[in-house]
Amino acid sequence: MGFERQINRLLIGILVAFVSVGIAGTYWAIVGPDTILLREDNPRRVEAEARILRGRIEGRDGTLLAESTADSTGRAVRRYLLPAMSSALGYFSLRYGVGGAEAAYDNLLSGNNQPQDWQTFVGQDLLHRAREGTDIRVTFDPTIQTELESQLAAYRGSGIVLNATSGEVLALISLPTFDPNTLDANWDLLTQAEDNPFFNRALQGNYQPGGLLQIPLLAGALLSDMELDKQFVDAARPVQVPNAELRCLRSPHSPVLTLGEAFLYGCPAPFEALINTLGVDPIEAIFRDFQLDAPPTLPGFLPPVESQPVPLELSAETLVPAALGQGQVTITPLEAAIITAAITQNGNAPEPITLLGTRLPGSTRWEPFPHLQTSIPMMTSDVAASLRELLIQSVNEGTAQPAQQGGLVIGGQVALAYAGDETQVWFIGFINGPNGQTFVTALALENSANTNQIARIGGEILAFAANHLSA
Amino acid sequence: MMSYSAWRTTTSAALLIISSAFLVINWVSLGLIRNDFSHSAHGLVWFLCAVGGIGLLRRYLPHHDPLIFPLVMLLSGWGLVVIDRLAPVFADRQAVWLIVSVVAMLIAALFPQPLEWLRRYRYTLLIVGLALLLATILLGRNPSDPERLTNAPALWLGAGTIFFQPSEALKIILVAFIASYLAEQYPAQRAVELTGRARSAPSGRILGPMLLMWGICVVILIWQRDLGTAILFFIVFLMLLYVATSYHRILVLGSLLVLLAGLVGYQAFSVVQLRVDIWLNPWPEADGRAYQIVQSLLAFAAGGPFGQGVGQGSPGYIPVVHSDFAIAALAEEWGLIGVLGVIACLSVVILRGLRSAAQPNRRPFHALLAVGLSTMLGAQSLLIMAGALKLVPLTGVTLPFLSYGGSSLLASFIMIGLLLRISAQESG
Repeated sequence: MGFERQINRLLIGILVAFVSVGIAGTYWAIVGPDTILLREDNPRRVEAEARILRGRIEGRDGTLLAESTADSTGRAVRRYLLPAMSSALGYFSLRYGVGGAEAAYDNLLSGNNQPQDWQTFVGQDLLHRAREGTDIRVTFDPTIQTELESQLAAYRGSGIVLNATSGEVLALISLPTFDPNTLDANWDLLTQAEDNPFFNRALQGNYQPGGLLQIPLLAGALLSDMELDKQFVDAARPVQVPNAELRCLRSPHSPVLTLGEAFLYGCPAPFEALINTLGVDPIEAIFRDFQLDAPPTLPGFLPPVESQPVPLELSAETLVPAALGQGQVTITPLEAAIITAAITQNGNAPEPITLLGTRLPGSTRWEPFPHLQTSIPMMTSDVAASLRELLIQSVNEGTAQPAQQGGLVIGGQVALAYAGDETQVWFIGFINGPNGQTFVTALALENSANTNQIARIGGEILAFAANHLSA
Repeated sequence: MMSYSAWRTTTSAALLIISSAFLVINWVSLGLIRNDFSHSAHGLVWFLCAVGGIGLLRRYLPHHDPLIFPLVMLLSGWGLVVIDRLAPVFADRQAVWLIVSVVAMLIAALFPQPLEWLRRYRYTLLIVGLALLLATILLGRNPSDPERLTNAPALWLGAGTIFFQPSEALKIILVAFIASYLAEQYPAQRAVELTGRARSAPSGRILGPMLLMWGICVVILIWQRDLGTAILFFIVFLMLLYVATSYHRILVLGSLLVLLAGLVGYQAFSVVQLRVDIWLNPWPEADGRAYQIVQSLLAFAAGGPFGQGVGQGSPGYIPVVHSDFAIAALAEEWGLIGVLGVIACLSVVILRGLRSAAQPNRRPFHALLAVGLSTMLGAQSLLIMAGALKLVPLTGVTLPFLSYGGSSLLASFIMIGLLLRISAQESG
């Protein structure tokens, strides 16, 4: 008799303890990757993200706009090659996240969309090669974007150029903007800046539309079988709205004007009469047709919370200022561009798109990105045709005359809006380009009342886009 | 049919060859990852220690256990790779400690005197050990904080760049003392058992040292805030007492004393309170006080079944990873397979140590010493691994053979040397 029995029991106890440790290790190794490893405060996630070589971004003409390269420690560095593109491309920062196209196509660019096949397993899980994202080719045209940026550089505001036929966004500017290459260093400065460079005015800027709402009002009149040549006496009189007195943008030749002439001169009084004639419900209906209660956005460019519909809640008391563009109805430059596009496309608003194609890592072939090519009917083709004529007339002989560009057929409208103590000016317009394509633009300049200047810029941008894309 | 002697020779050689291949692959991988092969010299040091050790053991201690030394060398080589990976500046020093430790192990294994001295001079050694403990309480320093600017535990003695942790020496001394004491009591105990009065109650001869040992542990806990060593000593002592007396009640009573000490410690010491709190729920303080344990668990999760590969994980996020959390680093880079491999190696070493204790015709002192040393290595491994996995509160002890720490490595190898000596004697 000795210690055998006790030693055996002790041995069993120790082995059970070792097995327990093994089971605990197995638990964390098997369950951990899907649970604790996903925690936001897991520094390994940040490190893995820092090594991801995000896909390149190319412009529609193949110009390289952004790329990632690995530094000596294996961390990826994102470089943006064209400063003028920052409003459109947005930014990528490990610390501060993503914005703009970088946010909209984050899944593609960061490689999250790639299949979990054996190549991924060998390359990433076994060999720990940095994940490479998918390259994307965007609809933005660097040349048009640069031109738009240089035209608007002196202002605070925004501009957008669309291909109305395809819905492709060719340029998108919001000023002031930021340099994504120095984002981390300047973050505090940028977020505290009064002008808020991160606020994308082209997509988020809910501006007072002012005279821009004359377009849906005219559509409402046409749908109600009202004649645009109906005359209004004392058409040039000012209209009082809260905090502002609205006047004609250009002095008319006569105090008696038709509705069409009032549009050409930017006179609000006949539209006030039209609003009172139509009433709340028809105006709400036409505004809904124009999607003013559900402003369009570029999917993914903005956080979801910022692209919520704005309900229309017009009442008899607020109807006139709201329908004259000085009330609760607001509009973004993208929205204005899409309405303009609908006018040129027989009343059907194209869905704005920003992605042309993708290229998988290691591949040389670009795959076209499939789009549903949906459109939203905003008005009848007859109404659209009438409005198209009016816009052309406005450039030929109305308030948008400075937009004229030689012999080119351009349609457009300028508008003035009041926001508190400030004024802002609008230009929307279109031009027919090569191959039956139509290009539209919408510009909004803050703290400006110079409608001639914005019309000139708008005309030049449209002519530049048409010339450039036909070259 | 292969003879037992041939089996021993083949097994130890095969294990050493497999270990060498495994370590070469890892050192080469690490060199390729870093594009720097300067640390491969550590591999050469390890290889010379392994080959030299096995050669001398075969020649001068032919009946030693054939599994223990190769497995311990595999673990220490693996530990060297881990330290090379995590804290390259300490790797040279650890390699030197490996040489010293293997030499010490060989002295303990090949010469009969150390084993005899531990029995014969147990009181002298205990006094020396307690004096060292007292010296640590009075003069202790922390190599990471030699100026004592922080509240870090001061568990080391030394100066300049040479430090030694007396509690490591005390591990061997106390185990030897208790084994010797209990072995001396064995004839009396045996007589009691034979007369059928065995199960009544532990005598004062048993309870006395038990309470004395508990007192020493509480002193360590209070004065040095060294929760790990205190618990370790007490567990080993309790197990030895159980093996020597076969009183089950000792385990119950000992557990109650541990619980009591734990409750008092929780109320009295912030360090104990902290470790218990973050053990119970580390997640709310994942970025604060529980950062270390949370990062350890994340390392296990990041490693998954197969690991990230040597040099390719991020174990550096775990503070003091090279000494306290070597197992978590290993889990991240070698995965669950690596962890289970370590557990298997340690289990076999403990099993072989206890097996040699359970050999027939053994001398009580040798049997109890083998039990104590095996339990010490096993309990220490379990405490830190279970702590890193949030099974028990963190205790801050090192993982034998794998963690950085010269004193720990030296003490562990001396224990292995003594186990090898006992295994050879018992089966010889």
